[in-house]
Amino acid sequence: MAGKIRTKQDKDDVIAYSEIAVRNNSAVVEYCRISMAALSGGTAGVLGLTGLYGFGFYVLATISLWMMILIKAGGEWNKYFVSRRSLLTSGFFSGLFTYVLFWTFLYGMVHVY
Amino acid sequence: MAELLLDPNIRGWVFLPIVVITFLVGIVRHYVSILLSTQKKVELTQVQDSQIMIRSRLLRENGQYIPKSAFLARRHFFNNEETGYFKTQRRAPVTQNPMSDPNMISEMLKGNLTNVIPMVLIGGWINWMFSGFVTSNYCFSIFLLLFIFGRSIKINYNFYFSAKVPFPLTLRFKPMLQRGIELVTLDAAWVSSASWYFLNVFGLRSIYTLVLGENNAADTSRHLQDQVSGAAMSMPPDPKAAFKSEWEALEICEHNWALNGVDEDLLGSKYKNVDDIDMYSQSSSS
Amino acid sequence: MAAKAIHKIVTFLGFLSLLHAAFSAVQHRSYLRITEQEFTTLPIDIIIQGVASLFAVMYGVMHIAGDFKEIRAVVDLENKSWETFRNLPSFQIFNHRGKALSPEYMVEEADRRR
Repeated sequence: MAGKIRTKQDKDDVIAYSEIAVRNNSAVVEYCRISMAALSGGTAGVLGLTGLYGFGFYVLATISLWMMILIKAGGEWNKYFVSRRSLLTSGFFSGLFTYVLFWTFLYGMVHVY
Repeated sequence: MAELLLDPNIRGWVFLPIVVITFLVGIVRHYVSILLSTQKKVELTQVQDSQIMIRSRLLRENGQYIPKSAFLARRHFFNNEETGYFKTQRRAPVTQNPMSDPNMISEMLKGNLTNVIPMVLIGGWINWMFSGFVTSNYCFSIFLLLFIFGRSIKINYNFYFSAKVPFPLTLRFKPMLQRGIELVTLDAAWVSSASWYFLNVFGLRSIYTLVLGENNAADTSRHLQDQVSGAAMSMPPDPKAAFKSEWEALEICEHNWALNGVDEDLLGSKYKNVDDIDMYSQSSSS
Repeated sequence: MAAKAIHKIVTFLGFLSLLHAAFSAVQHRSYLRITEQEFTTLPIDIIIQGVASLFAVMYGVMHIAGDFKEIRAVVDLENKSWETFRNLPSFQIFNHRGKALSPEYMVEEADRRR
């Protein structure tokens, strides 16, 4: 059988998840998430957002990315992800570092000098 | 809030180069550590031991699915007093001190070479290159060295301001980001080039994941994690103790054949209780 | 990676548009500095252009990143036939007498002696 099979107790029946597919999906989501953090940071810098507006923009971008992923999954997120909430929250703070870097970078390039 | 007006040349010759330098150094570090890294050599006996342990555990868990004689034969191979594997194999107790292992030392040296030294060199160089005062040439690298050895020292040195973070920071950040500048009215959001460098180091970590793929060597934290888990999986820390516990577990393991009467179950109730023979003895007698 | 050309084009155009918005913002800032006005917000068209290009790039990147796979293990097995499972590499035999049919077959010393 291909790969390791991981099982998880879900409600009343046991669903077997394919480890390879789960890892593939999380890699795709991670890729999107990092790009999103960098790009939205850049946009926030260009727009010259400061203070809480900038952090609010990050939260907005995260949520919109989450919704875009759900739309891409075609409404059947159950087919592709174990948990919908962890899709939203995982990697939130690691993305924040990248976001702040690009935010500061573009803000400095555009607005400070 | 004091509004500073900075020379646009600082943007082109300080702000932007720091980002580019940090990024490229990360890439170079990735490839250098690929060049330096040696394939971790695993000793044959270690692999043998770990495989034996896995086989013994499988026998304990799934032994009820094989006939009793087969189970006993396998257990004999492991546990026999004169010839059993667990009894005959004598392993020298593993030395707990990692310093005695020459491989470990060279590994650590390489890790330092690719992680710490670029950090010190680039940090010091950026401070020297982009700081306002030539007198603080080597202070920063010395400071980092001392920091590595667990001591901290107060050095009064000055930096250019090169960046402004676009969010307000509390006054607590001032000594960290504007070391040595006693300007009370200055907003804490203005940071020096060295602080900007460190912001880059942290922020670019996930960008390396994007550019170089996962598990890259530029990400130092993940590198360490790999080493630890890889070493733990390949061999038991002390083979002698592991063998002893495995021997005990196998010794008390009882064989209850799970397939007793499975032929009747398979054929259905029609043939049930025709005669009370189990499958294995029938096939062996014929 | 099932990235179509259109997604790459969308990403590229989005990047260009984002860069253009950045340059517009720089120009606006320098214009304000020359005319000594106070900076409040950017013009609305730059803001709209920035946000729209962000979403365009995000859309493109998300499709470039790759497709999702179904995580249920059963799906993987459904497409495989019984023959696929029968194919066990450990039981493959290559050293059989069929090699005598090959035109490059050389009769070896060991075979001749037998």
